[in-house]
Formats: sequence, structure tokens, C-alpha cells
Amino acid sequence: MKRAQKSLQFRHLDAGSCNGCEQELNALTSRFYDIQQQGIDIVASPRHADSLVVTGPVTDTMLRPLGKVWEAVPGPKLLIALGDCAAGCGVFQAAYASHGGVAGSLKEPDVVIRGCPPTPQDILDQLLRITAAKDPGPKV
Amino acid sequence: MATPINILEETGWIDFNRQQKQSGAQLLALTAFRDRQIRSHWLEPDGRVVSATFLCRGEHFPSLSPHLPEVAWDEREIHDLFGYIPVNHPDLRPLIRTPRWPRHFHPLVADLARTPVWEDAEPDNPAREVEGEGVTIMKVGPTHAGIIESGHFVFSIMGENVLHMDLHLFQNHRGVEAALQGLDLSLVPPLVSRICGADTVSHQANWAMAAEQLAGHQPSETLVRQRVLLLESERVLSHLNDLAQIPAGVGFQVANQRALAMKETWQRGLFSLFGHRLLFDTITPGWTATAQMADLITLIDDVNQTWRGWRTFVEGHHGFQDRMRDTGTVKRGDADRLGAQGVAGRASGLAFDARSLSPWYHDLAVHTSTDAHGDVAARFRVRLDEVEESWRLLRKLATKLSQESAQDVEWQPPQDLCGETVAFTESPHGLNVHVVALENGKVTRYHIRPATFRNWPVLALAVSGTAVGDFPLINKSFELCYSCNDR
Repeated sequence: MKRAQKSLQFRHLDAGSCNGCEQELNALTSRFYDIQQQGIDIVASPRHADSLVVTGPVTDTMLRPLGKVWEAVPGPKLLIALGDCAAGCGVFQAAYASHGGVAGSLKEPDVVIRGCPPTPQDILDQLLRITAAKDPGPKV
Repeated sequence: MATPINILEETGWIDFNRQQKQSGAQLLALTAFRDRQIRSHWLEPDGRVVSATFLCRGEHFPSLSPHLPEVAWDEREIHDLFGYIPVNHPDLRPLIRTPRWPRHFHPLVADLARTPVWEDAEPDNPAREVEGEGVTIMKVGPTHAGIIESGHFVFSIMGENVLHMDLHLFQNHRGVEAALQGLDLSLVPPLVSRICGADTVSHQANWAMAAEQLAGHQPSETLVRQRVLLLESERVLSHLNDLAQIPAGVGFQVANQRALAMKETWQRGLFSLFGHRLLFDTITPGWTATAQMADLITLIDDVNQTWRGWRTFVEGHHGFQDRMRDTGTVKRGDADRLGAQGVAGRASGLAFDARSLSPWYHDLAVHTSTDAHGDVAARFRVRLDEVEESWRLLRKLATKLSQESAQDVEWQPPQDLCGETVAFTESPHGLNVHVVALENGKVTRYHIRPATFRNWPVLALAVSGTAVGDFPLINKSFELCYSCNDR
């Protein structure tokens, strides 16, 4: 078996998602997608991560935790907005406690994975495009 | 659907609601309105819905919580969102509101045309902690080490025993009820469909039911069967997820992975049948997504083949069963007192299942599975039975539907729809209720009361007195969604 050349270790943060994106992210760990075999893994601490996957429109209560978790991820790192809410185009953008997704609340994400929710295959394809890229992402 | 508005005085209000509970009725919702009315809706054992109203005196209304602990959160929520004050409430700390909210900002009475100016503060509310020698405070969240929704728990522990768990949820509070307010009814479905990814069909069905009730439109038997088919498909999906998560809570990876695989097969089947892996956007007033019934039967057969072996495997696994037994026990009396819903209630011996009182299920004779033990094992087993019962219902519905060809005449609710109603379904997590008021085709109030809102305090009780290491397992045995609860 060919060893994956580049890996991606992401930490997930829910900032007001409906749990749809979470369910589809979870499906990636099932044998149908088996992300570990592709060199991608979900890590428990932002300190161990090289990327942060954010879901949800970023609620006011999650605004500060989001900033802190992003700060805790060592660079170089990638910010990934997963799903339409995080991408800033979900149905709850206008709700009073929503802060306009990742771009509206923290900074422009490096990668946007659209969909409501995106299917596990969509997510996997997009993540593989990151790991396949020669440039590991912007230096921070 | 509900009986006409019956405005009560202070003692009448408390007595009415207390008597309803004592007579075995289910609280559907306690709802506040902009015009200072507080309304309770109850579902009586014969399926009738009754309601009563209290008109706030100034900003005040008498708290029901000392008599009905299950509404403690409802009243705190009303206090945060409307600013009305429940007098004699035993614990009126903020529930949803955080120190970041502007002073006097009560979103459901505020003018939301202006975006609130949030305070420059941390969002944490004061926690209720146990004090004393040897007591340690352990805070978990709001972000978590795995892929789950955000929520903050403050444990008071002594050694490894949990003395008290204080719930600080509502991190995912987007302001859904306010976002629905003022919307044209044609714009409601996409939002309602996304209140919660795990109970979406139930939410969509409630909106459809509410709009049809208000318009006096009777959906055809075929349309109703198609909706029940979706509701049961969602139950299977959600239960397969929970049944995968419970073994994961004790590191039983084989059972977890095999159940996740069944869930994935089921989701792929739903995608090819209905066009969405989680069944978003499948029900609107007057309409329901349809599918080839033969394909559904093939899907059930396919998953059922793995299921039989898996069920025998997990039920016969001594270590796993031993771990679940007598863990996180909720006594029947506590479940009843706190209004536990769905599997959480049925696994503690409460027989309530909203399907048995729903006209949509009248010819299906749903078998309600209960268990008296109230522990993780009971919640696991009730789900096992419910998956099989849902498959039985699905086969029955598929057979009937394959013999019916008549498509419904297309119906849209009138653009000037008015009135107020209450709609409910049994979601995978239990009784899910919407109280909807429309004026001239626009939403004036949309109150969402999902089962998880009742069950979170039940989980907190189940965790007290257990070892903190059992929390993941107990938590997963409830598998409560945050988004439904937080809205």
C-alpha cells in the first residue's frame, strides 16, 4: 500500500450547526470512507491539529471560543468552512445571534466546502484536494 | 385543534396546569407571546388538546416550576427571550442569555431590524457548583475533542463521583424562532427543515400539519402515509446513529463500526429514494417527497441482514451489557416529574408515545416498547425494538402505498392564512411540538418545543451519583441534539 505523502490532521468546531454537518463528518470515519487510510485524521486537541474545520453560522456564544481554538492551532494551518452555514450562505444567516459564518466572524477561510450538508464523499474529495496540493497552505 | 383561549387568574392558572399533569396529560408547550400572554397546551390521554392562558400583570406571571419542575427551563427561556418574570421561580439564572447580550435585549419582543450590539465580554454564565473539602470542579466544553455539537458542562466531583452536573447549553443558539418571525409562510420550510439535522422530518411535518390545520385542509390518506413513511425512516436513521454511538461510549469499536456501516447503507438508500441523506426538504404543506416502494423494501431487507447478526452480537456480549446495566439510572418517578420524552421516558417505564395519539398513525397500531430499568441498557434495548417496529410499519406502509397510485391534487396554503395552532409529532428523540401563529400569511410567533429540551435536565439527573468516567456512555444513551434544544 502506498503511503500517503501528505497528511491532514483536523480539529472540528461546531459554531451553531444543525448537527447535519457533524453527522456527515462522522461518517468519514466509517469503513466506507476510511479517512485515516488517506492520511487524514480528526484530532482531539487544536494543539495537535494543522487545520480547523468549522461548521455552523457562528453563533454569538461560540464567537470567542472559535477565536481561541483557532489561536491554539499551531501554524502553518488551514481554516476550513464546512457546510453552507459556515460558508456564510446558510438559511440562518439573518438570525440575530448569527455572525455571518467563518468569513464574517473570524477571517476568510482557506477552504470552503459547500453543501447543506455536503455529503461525506464531497467532504473527502475536498480534503484530498488539500492533501494532494503541492503547497501545504498559507504560512501563518 | 386546541380549544378556545381560556384566560385564567393566578391560582386558576397554577391549578389548571397542576391538574392536567395529575390527570396524566402531556405538556405540549408553554409558550409566551408578544402581547404578554403565556399559554400552556396539554395533550390529554384521549388525544384532545386543551390550553389555558395567563395574561401577565405588567411583566409578571406566577411560576409553575415549584409545582411542575418540568417547566423550569421553559420559564427561564421566557424570561430571557421576552423579559417576562416568573414570580417564585426557584432558579432564575439566565438560560440562553449570556453576559454578551445588551442590557434589556429580549429578542422575541425586540425590534430586530437593528442588529444587537454585543457586549465585549466572555459568554459564560455563573455555574451552580458544590462547595466543600475534596470537591473538584471539572469544566468540559463548550468545544469538544470529537465531532459533536458544542455544549458546556460543569461537573462538581468528589474523587470520581459526580455530585452535580450543571448544564450550560445554548451555545448553538442562532435565534431560529426570531428568524421565523415575520417570514412569509412560503419561506418557512427551508428554515424549519434545518432546526435540527437529526429530527428534521419531524420538524417539517409539524409545520405542514400546522399550516394545513389553519387552512382547514385535510391531506389525503396517501399523503399522510408518505409522511409517516418519512417519519419512520428518520427514526431508523437516528436510532442507528445512537445505537452506533452507545458502544463507542465504552470503546466497543466493532459494534460501533458495524452499526455505523448500517447507518451509512440506510443513508445512501434514503438518498437514492428521496434525494437527501438526512431527509431535508422532503415535506411542505400540501406536499411530500415520494419514492419507489420496491426500492424501500430492498433497502430494509439489505440492512436487516446485517442487523440480525449485529443485534445477536451486542445483546450476547457480556462485557458490553454489564457496562450498560445499572448505569445512569433514571427512576420512573423522576422521569415523570421532569417530563422525560421519547426513548428516555419509555426506558424508565413511561408508556407515552405521541404516535399512539396521532391521527396520522390511527390505522397502524404502533407497538410501544418500554422498559422499567431506566438505565443505559434499557435505553439501548428500547431503541433496538423501535428500529424493528419502524421497519414493520415501513413495510406495511410500503405495501399500502404501492397499491395506491393517486397523486394528491397540488395544494398550497392560502397566502393570507391566519390563526394560531399547535402541531406535534413523535420525533426520534420524542415529543416534538410547534406552536404557530400566523397573521395575513406571515409568521407572528413560532415556538419550537423539541423533546431534547425536556430531556437535558433528565440527563443531568442521571449523571448525578455516577462515576464521571461513565458520563460519555450515559450521555450517548440519551444522544440529545443540541441544535434542537438551543435553536
